[in-house]
Amino acid sequence: MARTSSGASLAKPLISLTAAIVAAAGIAGWPTGAALAQTPKPVDIALIMPLSGPWARQGQLVKLGAEMAIAEINEKGGIKSMGGAKLNLISIDAGDSAEKAKNAAQRLVAEHPDVVGGIGAWLSTFTLAITEVTERAQIPWLTLSYADSLTSRGFKYIFQSSPTANVQAVESLPTLIDLAKSATGKAPKTIGLIGDNTASPVSFLKPLREPGGLDKYGMKAVVDETYTPPLADATTLMQRVRSARPDMLLYITTTISDLKLGLDKMNEFHIGKGAVPVIGSGGANGAPEVLKNVSPDLLEGYIFIVANWGLKGQEQILDAFKKRTGEPWMTQESLDGYGHVWILKDALEKVGKADKVKVAEAIHTMEFDSGPTAMVFPGKVKFDAAGHRVGAPLVIVQWQNGVPVTIYPIDRATAKAKWPKS
Amino acid sequence: MKRAPIGRHYAAILLFAAAYLCLGWFVHNSYYQLMMTLVLIWATVGVSWNTLSGYSGMISFGHAAFFGLGGYTMTILFVTFGITPWIGIPAGVLVGIIAGIVIGVPTFRLRGHYFALAMLAYPLAMLYVFEWIGYQEVPIPMMREAPLRYAEFSDPRAYMVLALILLVLCMIAALHIERSRFGMSLMAIKQNEPAASAAGINPMRWKMLAMMISAAMGAAAGGLYAMVLLVVTPQTMFGALVSAQALIMALFGGVGIFWGPVIGAAVLVPLAETLNAELGSILPGIQGVVYGAAIIIITLVAPEGIYWRLRDYFAARRRATGPAIGKAPVSVLISEPTTVAPANPGERKQAESGEVLLSLDRTGRAFGGLKAVDGVDLNIRTGSIHGIIGPNGAGKTTLFNVVNGFLRADSGSIKLAGTELVGLRPHDICRLGVGRTFQVIRAFPRMSVLENVVIGAVGTSSDTQAERLAMQALDRVGLADQQAYAIAGGLTTKQLRLMELARALAPRPRLLLLDETLAGLGHDALGDIVTILRRINRDGVTIAIIEHTMQAMMKLVDEFSVLDHGKLIASGAPSKVVKDPAVIEAYLGRKWMERAKDTVA
Repeated sequence: MARTSSGASLAKPLISLTAAIVAAAGIAGWPTGAALAQTPKPVDIALIMPLSGPWARQGQLVKLGAEMAIAEINEKGGIKSMGGAKLNLISIDAGDSAEKAKNAAQRLVAEHPDVVGGIGAWLSTFTLAITEVTERAQIPWLTLSYADSLTSRGFKYIFQSSPTANVQAVESLPTLIDLAKSATGKAPKTIGLIGDNTASPVSFLKPLREPGGLDKYGMKAVVDETYTPPLADATTLMQRVRSARPDMLLYITTTISDLKLGLDKMNEFHIGKGAVPVIGSGGANGAPEVLKNVSPDLLEGYIFIVANWGLKGQEQILDAFKKRTGEPWMTQESLDGYGHVWILKDALEKVGKADKVKVAEAIHTMEFDSGPTAMVFPGKVKFDAAGHRVGAPLVIVQWQNGVPVTIYPIDRATAKAKWPKS
Repeated sequence: MKRAPIGRHYAAILLFAAAYLCLGWFVHNSYYQLMMTLVLIWATVGVSWNTLSGYSGMISFGHAAFFGLGGYTMTILFVTFGITPWIGIPAGVLVGIIAGIVIGVPTFRLRGHYFALAMLAYPLAMLYVFEWIGYQEVPIPMMREAPLRYAEFSDPRAYMVLALILLVLCMIAALHIERSRFGMSLMAIKQNEPAASAAGINPMRWKMLAMMISAAMGAAAGGLYAMVLLVVTPQTMFGALVSAQALIMALFGGVGIFWGPVIGAAVLVPLAETLNAELGSILPGIQGVVYGAAIIIITLVAPEGIYWRLRDYFAARRRATGPAIGKAPVSVLISEPTTVAPANPGERKQAESGEVLLSLDRTGRAFGGLKAVDGVDLNIRTGSIHGIIGPNGAGKTTLFNVVNGFLRADSGSIKLAGTELVGLRPHDICRLGVGRTFQVIRAFPRMSVLENVVIGAVGTSSDTQAERLAMQALDRVGLADQQAYAIAGGLTTKQLRLMELARALAPRPRLLLLDETLAGLGHDALGDIVTILRRINRDGVTIAIIEHTMQAMMKLVDEFSVLDHGKLIASGAPSKVVKDPAVIEAYLGRKWMERAKDTVA
């Protein structure tokens, strides 16, 4: 026990030692003036993404897209209104927890005071934590995260390019009906709802499960199941689907193994490969890694809803990305990383100087209607006062011949939807 | 190695706080300010963990429960009802304390690994509950009007000051716990819960109090953390990482001492962050590997934390230069002649005529079909030394356990000077005047001899009185003044036996139950202890002793009771009992009994 003189006297040198270390780190880490004059001075933009931990792959995909945009912009002569200033990407690891993400943002603010805008951080929890810091530092912050809370805090420096989670939940059914009508000529009548009991599937299916949620669209749920993931076996679930034979099935999973089990069983029951259209939610359903777990044969016809995917008009971008990175196709992560850098570039071009507050103002007021910026996102590229992208539509993707291709919005689709005519 | 006055600890804490504040005040980099705040918050969480687990040894893997409840209470009150964190955090502390009680009542029934595992479950369950009721991601609203009323500061140093105040309060609380009978009792429980309750300590009461204080500290830290992080999610508040962090800070810095978690946090939080900042962008993920490796190495080099390692190192250096305390020759330790005086028959007579102090009437205790104590009738006279002998497995220790309340007699009665003991708990029986020692010596190796003995007295007296009683007890067993401050880890077996004897004597028992106090001692040491026991007895303490060393017992005791297979087979004066055929048979078998008969005849 510590109540000896040695306990007390020992603590003192320890404290002063710790203090010295902290102080030394403070001095060493002080920004030592990046202003060793190069003219024109490069413009710093930040990327905070989970580059380690369970979400590292997604963070890496965003980073790949952002790096490609920066390379293109710099090759084409940088920011012209700033005398050809080059863009410089500062990328910081958000790690695997909200605390680390917030620390990363604080480090950015403390050590890179010249940053004019940033991108991050895929997982909405991280984005929430990061934007608490960047908002106070007045750094315009672009994100693909879905959470409604991101743009409901009254923040002025956040820009959310994806439709929010609530919008996705409410819009998905009319969008799917629209798609089915255009593919088959008639409206679907019955639907199956299956989702696991984790937060995101539950809130996604909530508006459909509410009284009158389906009646509005003249639809009826013939299967409605909630299960605890991960599934050991999907037989019971899919037997219900087989006997009820809905016109479409919302099968909202959060693990790839559940998706595989479900599709397997449907195939066994001869309702697979699009015989009953199966719809999921989230970009993870179209990641190249899915093919490592589920064969292209099983995935055929499987549909999922995302905020962004490869669209008509992006051919050049998609080809360049595949060549540059060796990735088989461009997911919403890479597309948005690419697009966010272009939004910052266009705003800087308009402002003409490295002024973060002016850049934020520009993003609020501009309509990005030309060049790569306009092509990267479905719908218009314009933000409202809260930071929502105005009228951002959903994108619907379908696995066809081992590749996830965009089938909606129709005007930007790269392929026609395969939907059973019966 | 006398204990430092409490003022010096206060001075050290205040000096630490002042130095930290000075340093923080001149740091203008907001990132370092955030780091300095997080160090303080995690140090507080570590102190919270230490208050329960470090002192009492009840290892908790679930401190995130209190941390999370503190954070969520503050956040929900703020977001849903617009209540300021100035009220929200104290409310969170209250919720934490209630949770501590609710968790403690069922969970303290468990021991060791089972307690640790059960604690692990609470935050995990809460995590899912908070996810399920829809608090997945709760941002704390930014109050542009009247930010101060909502504890929102534009200067990050304000959070650092708040965190520093909280930590200093918790450190002072911990200091007082460590130095009071509260901390002593917790440490006694940590070492040996049955022995502690035999010394008059009510384990449930102290453990519950520790749990409540610990929960309060954890909840306060959680509330402050939520204010700093500004986003509350079940993972950040209830995640396994939070519980692990609490444990790591204390284990790394030093268990069972309030400086420990502070040292742990001051090293580990900046280390982890520096690794994130420096290595994370070069090779993402490597920071976790380096951090893990650092913890493994430190744990191997300093198993109980840096604090103890350094303290042992400095103590060893001081010992090398200073007087050789704790290595004094045995003869110095004994203040009376070491030869065993022959029993004085005259004195013995007096004891035999004394009235009965402890009386067992058909007392029994069975384990399933095995009757470990089977209808024993036994009277121990006031002022006597009563030997209890019998072959291994005869039920001697079980008999002691039944008398002092570890086990409940399932038949018969046990009366101490007329008071029924059956049904009372060990600490109550101790208060009635029954002390005991154990077969296996349980000392606190890092504490001084005096502190070891004080623990025996804290259950039955006030804090100041406990130390006086302990000194008297040490005097009675002949451990001289200078040995009182020696570290128990350096004692010989004999000194340890004496120390344990003193511990049992400290609460001034009327009846002392000694379980193999003479076992494993050399001839000389044996003689010394017999002398001391006789002196204690002469001073008015009635002794019941279990022993196998017959030679010593013959000289020591007034009366024998012999147990075999749970039954009393003989009792009476030593000379009579050793010739009893039943006793010889029980010990040596039938063949020897025949020979004994011949000799007697």
